[in-house]
Amino acid sequence: MASNAIKSGALVTLPELQPSSEFFKEGASLRVTGKLQEYSVETAIAVIADQGATLKVDTQHLRELSFRIGSIFQFIGELNIQPNNEAILQACTGRNVDGIDLDLYYQSLQQLRQFQAKHMKNATT
Amino acid sequence: MDQQPPSLLHIHVKLLGFSLHSITPWPNNPSIFYLNGKRISRIEILGVVTSRDYRPNKFLRFTLDDGTHSITCILWLNHLTSPFFASRQPATLRVISDLAKCFADDIQFGKVARVRGRVSSYRGDLQVTVSDVVIERDPDAETLHRLDCISLGRRCYFG
Repeated sequence: MASNAIKSGALVTLPELQPSSEFFKEGASLRVTGKLQEYSVETAIAVIADQGATLKVDTQHLRELSFRIGSIFQFIGELNIQPNNEAILQACTGRNVDGIDLDLYYQSLQQLRQFQAKHMKNATT
Repeated sequence: MDQQPPSLLHIHVKLLGFSLHSITPWPNNPSIFYLNGKRISRIEILGVVTSRDYRPNKFLRFTLDDGTHSITCILWLNHLTSPFFASRQPATLRVISDLAKCFADDIQFGKVARVRGRVSSYRGDLQVTVSDVVIERDPDAETLHRLDCISLGRRCYFG
């Protein structure tokens, strides 16, 4: 199957987005989830936090999304890495996911990666 | 007596997007595909709408991103004008057409949608020809679908 023009946002947790991580790449298409810690109306920059890690999200292209401090949001977008090695996600979609079971979500990501790893391994053997 | 495993041909197989790479066409019938040696024709996918190409009274082409792959979906909106549907009763066509238009209105950028439909191929790429759409508002819907797909994959599809 040929590659799709629209890149899928890889599911990552904020603690995984360290400079040493495989996901920490300019232009990487990612999906992130975190609690809204700060939001600037002037710059449209949101800061989300999860498990002690934070990430800036540029929300200028998002419409019809109300930003409430303390709510949990999920964004899909491309990672932009600044010269000082700080990452900012240029979001193309975002939604409020208040009520999400984050423990179950993290477990599902673990299960997914195990499943994908085995699936890919079987596909190549 | 050995029991045959249940057929997957007439059910909507719940799949994650990356599993579409495991689907291969069946040369004898363009509506039937193989998934790990099992014949399938319909799938159920769930993801965020990340693109939307709307042609009134023709089609809505959109992509669903479930975190593993971007899946192209096509929702036909030409039931009242296409000769493909000419043999159907007009009243039935009107109901199908109205339902498809409702689905098209529901599919908006950024929404989470559960889509059921037939696997189809267009210019060498697999896509889903949509028959049913539900917009999911439960924030855990994607997580639960992901776990369902993994469980079914391990026990039924790839086991």
